[in-house]
Amino acid sequence: MGSSVLVCDDSNLARKQLLRSLPEQLSTKTQIATNGEEALEILRSQNIDILFLDLTMPVLDGVGVLQAIKDENINIAVFVISADIQPEMQSKVLALGAKEFLRKPVKTEVLNEHLTKHGFL
Amino acid sequence: MSALNLNEDQQDCLQELINVAMGQASDQLARYLDTFVHLKVPSIEQVDAKSLSNSLNDEQMAVAVVSQGFFGYEGIRGEALLIYQPRDSDRLADLLGYEPEELSVEEQIIDLSSILTTTFLNVFAGQIDNQMSYSAPRLLSSTKSLVSEHLHQLSFNWDLALKIKITYQVTDYSFNCDMILLIPESAIINIKTVLNRILDEF
Amino acid sequence: MSVDNFCETISDQINTGILVVSLDFTIVKWNRFLQVHANVTPEKVLGKCIFDVFPELPKKWFERKLSSVIQLGTQSFCSWEQRHHLFELPHTRPITTDSHFMAQNCTFLPITSDNVITHICILIEDATDVCHYQTMLNKTLESLAMANRIDGLTQIFNRKHWEECLAKEFSRARRYNHGLALIMFDLDHFKLLNDTYGHLGGDKVLVETSKTIQSLLRLCDQFGRYGGEEFAIVLPETDLVGAADVAERIRAAIEGTDINFQDQIIRTSVSVGVSIINSQDKRYEDLIQNADNALYKAKSSGRNRVCLSTELP
Repeated sequence: MGSSVLVCDDSNLARKQLLRSLPEQLSTKTQIATNGEEALEILRSQNIDILFLDLTMPVLDGVGVLQAIKDENINIAVFVISADIQPEMQSKVLALGAKEFLRKPVKTEVLNEHLTKHGFL
Repeated sequence: MSALNLNEDQQDCLQELINVAMGQASDQLARYLDTFVHLKVPSIEQVDAKSLSNSLNDEQMAVAVVSQGFFGYEGIRGEALLIYQPRDSDRLADLLGYEPEELSVEEQIIDLSSILTTTFLNVFAGQIDNQMSYSAPRLLSSTKSLVSEHLHQLSFNWDLALKIKITYQVTDYSFNCDMILLIPESAIINIKTVLNRILDEF
Repeated sequence: MSVDNFCETISDQINTGILVVSLDFTIVKWNRFLQVHANVTPEKVLGKCIFDVFPELPKKWFERKLSSVIQLGTQSFCSWEQRHHLFELPHTRPITTDSHFMAQNCTFLPITSDNVITHICILIEDATDVCHYQTMLNKTLESLAMANRIDGLTQIFNRKHWEECLAKEFSRARRYNHGLALIMFDLDHFKLLNDTYGHLGGDKVLVETSKTIQSLLRLCDQFGRYGGEEFAIVLPETDLVGAADVAERIRAAIEGTDINFQDQIIRTSVSVGVSIINSQDKRYEDLIQNADNALYKAKSSGRNRVCLSTELP
């Protein structure tokens, strides 16, 4: 197998951190987006299995992306990866259809655990 | 562009470290204060000593400013200024979990400042494998003139500083305060070294 | 000697109190500084609850303080400036300071073992000297500030400070649309008085006049020496009738006061001008100008009288 992955975060460091934490079978087929709008463009034109989504971003934030995915019925598993870990935010994104809410910086073991849980590993 | 300026990658790296520290600090504060503390996206900029006093004073009429020095390994050091607005001190004791008669307003402000500063910087330091020590927090004044005097004194030691401003909002208490971290030029070089090391790892 | 022993020696020689409590407030460390200052041996306190050893501690405050250290895993402080002392320890300067106890700066440090906080260390620094000098400095600054505001001879406000007060009251009255009156008065024939009794006599008259008038004023009225023998009073929240009444009482009081000077009796009088804030006044100086004009009228129409800048309603 080998799912296609999109990493959406405005921070270069955060993207690199995540890419490094990704298990090998996923890290070969990754694309990046630096804001929500870019991410949606890719999602609309290509088949992506997993989206790792930051919340605080310019142009269009993570919540906006989740809303658009829901409105446009895009079939994708979204893992929110955020520094903003307030409970209100967690319940908000989960209600919008995100699979998981993970705290930044995300550790490899935690990532593996959740990817396994949702059948991507 | 001086050698002290952060390049794009360094700026991005610092911003991300601060974002993560803010998230964890607000989580810890929410648990301790039993109310949600929202930290607003920080601004990071280079300021020169002369304009600092003006830039702070223009922004607001502060009633209280608390200063606390911080210092860690690898020459990471600076000073945190916590700036409070006039109406903000009403319910601090309540927020801090003390009975109002147990401590003076000054003590409440100092106590909260120390909690905000150390919680944030401890998390920040943890991310760069560092550990912070702190000087005792001091109430600079309740008057504007004394604050600019203090800033004026500070500026004897440096020409340029990295200024990081984070706004704390406690909605349940309709309370705001600004935390301004000032990292003097001698320490900026050290921060850059740390940032470069982190960037090299990725 | 091992390094551990060094630490023991240092902790016993250091001029800072080192007190360690476990999370249930039991004292587990008590260094020599504390033994000496509290005059209690470690045997008597180790294993005891800190609140039993120091019943003066504000218990709830102290528990909350420690909980912040434990929950946030960070150090916390308590300065003599906000809380003179936590622990009632006698200090080493019993003669020169007015407090019974040592002023203290306390630091609360979390002590961890395997990333878990097991104890809290409390460092107690003697800040008595700092406190003493800071208190002296504050007193000096206060008296300097006072000296800056007060006229040396009459002990009422000097002109500079009085004008600052007027400026403040003027803008407040403008903003809230409140009344504001100004009285200016001048001792009649003061030059003659100086020539007759000498400058000491003149000074005595200035001092006594100030005292007499001060006793006629409210707390909120601001009384200052405007120039040589000219005085001025700011009367907040006062209309023309009220101000005219005060002015007349001033005139009568000075006329009726005998001043003893070197076995002689000096009698004097004052001419008084009164003005109140009106809608044309842009600056506080306008108020002064109007009172001054009224004062001139009082002088030129025979002295020892009150003139108003506008007619009584």
